[in-house]
Amino acid sequence: MISNRHHGEPNAQRMGSIGRNVVQFRLPMLPPSDGVEWNAKVNDEEVSIIIESNAILLDVLRDRVGSLGTKRGCDMGTCGCCSVLINGEPRLSCLTLAVDTEQADITTVEGLADGHHLHPIQQTFAECGGSQCGFCTPGFLVVISALLSENSKPNDQEIKQAIEGNLCRCTGFQQIVDSVKAASDILVSGQAVSDSTLSKSDPHPGFGGD
Amino acid sequence: MSEKEDAPKEIVGYRQQPGKLPFSRPGSGGKGKFSESTDQEMIPESQGGKLAQEWGPHRHDELISGRVVGKSTALVDSSWKVTGQAHYGDDVRLPGELIGRIVRSPHHYARVLSIDCTKALELPGVVAVATGDDAKNRFGVLPVTKDEHAMAVEKVRHAGDLVACVAAIDEATAREAERLIQVEYELIDPIHDMREGLEDSGEPIHDRGDYHIGESNVQKRVFQEFGDVEGMIENSVASHKKNWIFAGVNHAFTEPHAVVAHWDPTGRLTLYTPQQVPHYVHRALADVLEIPMHQINVHRTFVGGGFGGKSDPFPHEMCAAILARKSGKPVRITFDREEVYWVNRGRHPSRIEMNLHADDEGRICGIETDALIDGGAFASFGHVTTYYNGVLHTAPYEIGAFHYTGARVWTNKPASGAMRGHGAVNSRCAVEVGLDDLAEKLSVDPISLRLANLLPPHSATITGFRVTSIGMRECLERVREESGWNKKFRKLPLGKGIGIGCGFFISGSGLPIHWDPNKFPHATVHLKIDMDGGVTIHTGAADIGQGSDTVVAQSVAEVLGLPLDMIRVKSRDSDTSPVDLGSYSSRVTFMNANAAISAAMQIREELLDATVEITGAERSGLIIGDRRIFLKKDPAVGVSYLEALHKSQEDRGALVASGAYRTPPMGKMHKGAAAGLAPAYSFSAYVTEVSVDVETGQIKVDKVWAAHDCGKALNPLAVKGQIIGSCHMGMGQVLSEEMRYGRSGNLMNPDLLDYKIPSIHEMPEVIPIIVESNDPEGPFGAKEAGEGPLLPILPSVCNAVYDAIGIRTSELPMSPEKVHKMIEKRCREEEVSDPNNLPSPSLQHSSLQGVLENRAKEHRIRDKDRRLDEGRSDYHNGALFGLDPTIPPDEVDPRWSVRVTPEEEYLKSPRLAGSAWKHTERRHAEGQK
Ligand code: FES
Ligand code: FES
Repeated sequence: MISNRHHGEPNAQRMGSIGRNVVQFRLPMLPPSDGVEWNAKVNDEEVSIIIESNAILLDVLRDRVGSLGTKRGCDMGTCGCCSVLINGEPRLSCLTLAVDTEQADITTVEGLADGHHLHPIQQTFAECGGSQCGFCTPGFLVVISALLSENSKPNDQEIKQAIEGNLCRCTGFQQIVDSVKAASDILVSGQAVSDSTLSKSDPHPGFGGD
Repeated sequence: MSEKEDAPKEIVGYRQQPGKLPFSRPGSGGKGKFSESTDQEMIPESQGGKLAQEWGPHRHDELISGRVVGKSTALVDSSWKVTGQAHYGDDVRLPGELIGRIVRSPHHYARVLSIDCTKALELPGVVAVATGDDAKNRFGVLPVTKDEHAMAVEKVRHAGDLVACVAAIDEATAREAERLIQVEYELIDPIHDMREGLEDSGEPIHDRGDYHIGESNVQKRVFQEFGDVEGMIENSVASHKKNWIFAGVNHAFTEPHAVVAHWDPTGRLTLYTPQQVPHYVHRALADVLEIPMHQINVHRTFVGGGFGGKSDPFPHEMCAAILARKSGKPVRITFDREEVYWVNRGRHPSRIEMNLHADDEGRICGIETDALIDGGAFASFGHVTTYYNGVLHTAPYEIGAFHYTGARVWTNKPASGAMRGHGAVNSRCAVEVGLDDLAEKLSVDPISLRLANLLPPHSATITGFRVTSIGMRECLERVREESGWNKKFRKLPLGKGIGIGCGFFISGSGLPIHWDPNKFPHATVHLKIDMDGGVTIHTGAADIGQGSDTVVAQSVAEVLGLPLDMIRVKSRDSDTSPVDLGSYSSRVTFMNANAAISAAMQIREELLDATVEITGAERSGLIIGDRRIFLKKDPAVGVSYLEALHKSQEDRGALVASGAYRTPPMGKMHKGAAAGLAPAYSFSAYVTEVSVDVETGQIKVDKVWAAHDCGKALNPLAVKGQIIGSCHMGMGQVLSEEMRYGRSGNLMNPDLLDYKIPSIHEMPEVIPIIVESNDPEGPFGAKEAGEGPLLPILPSVCNAVYDAIGIRTSELPMSPEKVHKMIEKRCREEEVSDPNNLPSPSLQHSSLQGVLENRAKEHRIRDKDRRLDEGRSDYHNGALFGLDPTIPPDEVDPRWSVRVTPEEEYLKSPRLAGSAWKHTERRHAEGQK
């Protein structure tokens, strides 16, 4: 497969941070694709950059916006690792043209936590074994967060349907389903997930009395 | 001892007031102002606690502080993963990086006549190209079979083999340049069928010089005979024979390979790579780049799944380093999913002939296995795989004879290698299905047959492997019980079935791969604790998602009585981490945690010394609890962890300790005796329930009771995760996964759409059952849980399918069309027109059933006695057949002597893989001339 999706992007631009103005650099022998302006909200932050009209959202997110948490597993819509929320709906960013998300509200895994308070599904993925190698995890998390915001108490069948497009080679899915249920319990009970920056253990404790 | 003589020394004012805070000191502060009292449920009986020890005490019992070991624990690196901040190979972005692409061969087998890079170099944005000429040294994971180059030197050996590589300012330019590199090939006739590999060839895929086997493509051949081979057929009353074909499967981890290479301004190379085995990459890089190892830092990134597929040193890693050297810039290479299949290293496509024989007492009097495995174009781990296909099914059963012929051949396919359950999976499937068939022929229950033929704990297998703890019996008994086996087996209606399968796997390999003659440890762990009290663990063990960072943190935390939030694991850079051999052969928990414990024990000693010094208390009475060290019988007398730490740091600063692990000497002396040797072995037994649609041949696995003996579950959450994940992967192989090669040898499905991994809808409910046999040498009793759990799922599904519809497959995967064909065939045999009218298999026990049950009962007692009796005598395989258990049978009975080369007689009509022995090694052939 020869793709020219990065065609003409100078390195500086690819490495550039959000919104930086970079001079366009064209390779003469490749048919150029137009640079277009792309405005979207990624994890609540306004992004406005020039992209190529044929750029794939996954590439834009990873290489331009800096959302390295959004993973590339196949480029073909078969693994679900690249899932993001577009206006709240789970979508495969590897099959989405960036220009089609003009003005959209995009959420990636980096946008799930509230500061250092994890989203309940992030917390329970860790606690219940939903994540082993973790490469599929961002995809699962965004898809499940969409499920839970629509239906805070999904049953087994609903959970399975929600994540059927995501592959995990490590967990065999069972502990992922456990994690969803545990997260749902947290959401339903209204418990808050603690702040990860809270003080850790005191190495110098007193004698509690046995 | 009398109280008076040994009255405790007077305690000089070091009694802490309950509920009163000690003076603060630098480094103190944080949550948990008071030490928690020890949870007696976590303390072993041998230490006066309440943790039952059915399997007896363990040498690490006194190190248990009751904090973390044995509790389900979130992986210590999970916060990184769930926030998207875990950086995998492709997430390493260095300023000024170039993108590397690899030019791959479109041909299966060809001579490379010329490579013209001029056009590519003229393309603006292209910075460097490299070809085989830039790196002529060979490498490979095993030192005896180094047969890979960074890029083709002279020949390409499979479609997708590396020819050249290019670095450019961005991916589009690199891809364009890839297209502009012109390569002239001269085609050579390729070999695709592994059987052809056994024959002499005009142009063998590799040339091993003097050691080449004939003019064939045989890369490795094995012949082994143990036990009473002559007697096995004579004594048998029932035999099983089946010729299996196993398709090759790929690891299909979610993260495609990726690598970043960077030469820093001092001229040192850092290679960022998601590797399971960073140390061997380190060695290979030094060979290929012709620089000393100390000039290289291998940085292991997060690894997005390995399963054996990221454990070879890879050519693309060499390419990145070469391009980065040439261009003076960091170079990142990331694979397309398709390229993952080109490097492959998946499970070998195999043809296995399995023969089992049982005698009139229901003993397994012989196993004859012939395994031909398709290695693809390179050796990889194949030398070992060839042995493993035989030797890893010589247990857990006591057997009368073992005859094995194995051969691995080169073909023009992407290389096969190590994959979860390395070398054991296919032949194990064949054995366990064979046992089911034997039980059928003997009219006995297959679980009873197994229970009556198990080796006892602390015994030696027929191949001379030393086996310590064995929880096989408990695994079998528990799955039988919990699945309701006796009410279901051979009693379910047509289309519903239940089946059993077992497994046996190494917990680390006895010999390190590099076979250094010196006595390097297999694992080393360094600890550093400064005045802040946090513990830094330096380890080279590669966490690939299995949780090795967590296990090492847990082990240290347990010994020092600390919560996990005080431990940090640094396991990424070879510059700072001591060598660990890597995450393969299920060695990490066993070896690395042992190394960690021994390092932590040194710190523990220092803390205890300091406590004695401060409190004046008697050392032998001190124990470590939650962040506090105190007198067991008077917990008020004690100091906080930080107090003891600061005392021991007086005049020297940070405490440092190093612990190491090396396997004990074991095993026999014959050629190949070391393959399969391990310091401990895991055991497992699964019962699986399936539904088969008799009209379409579609199989659905409904439920799996999965018992695995992991010695001791240091982190039960992770052990369960490994068991369930193994079921998923094994189910894929048995039902749907297959690297499909077309008639002309092209790989048809190098993508995740056509390479079918089970989705969540195919997953059955898995009930993980953890059996803890408390291995005497394992860390806190632990053994492996990463690979062994995969083995039983394949045969248990096959056997359940037989129970459901009375067909036995001999070809995996069991796709619906194959099953459908077999159902049609059975319909013809049974003369029924509607498959719904097929008879469901049934069972009437023969008188042998009683014999087996009695023997199992006796052995149950024998096993229990052996595991608890420290003074037990030796037990060698063969005792069940009337030989003296205390002497290795080959030393007393000439019929049991070990043979590792075939005799003339055998060569007159060898089995398939056995025919590899028709060839003479070149050096011997020349000798004859
Ligand atoms: S990368 Fe998008 S589905 Fe795999
Ligand atoms: S955790 Fe590894 S692929 Fe899902």
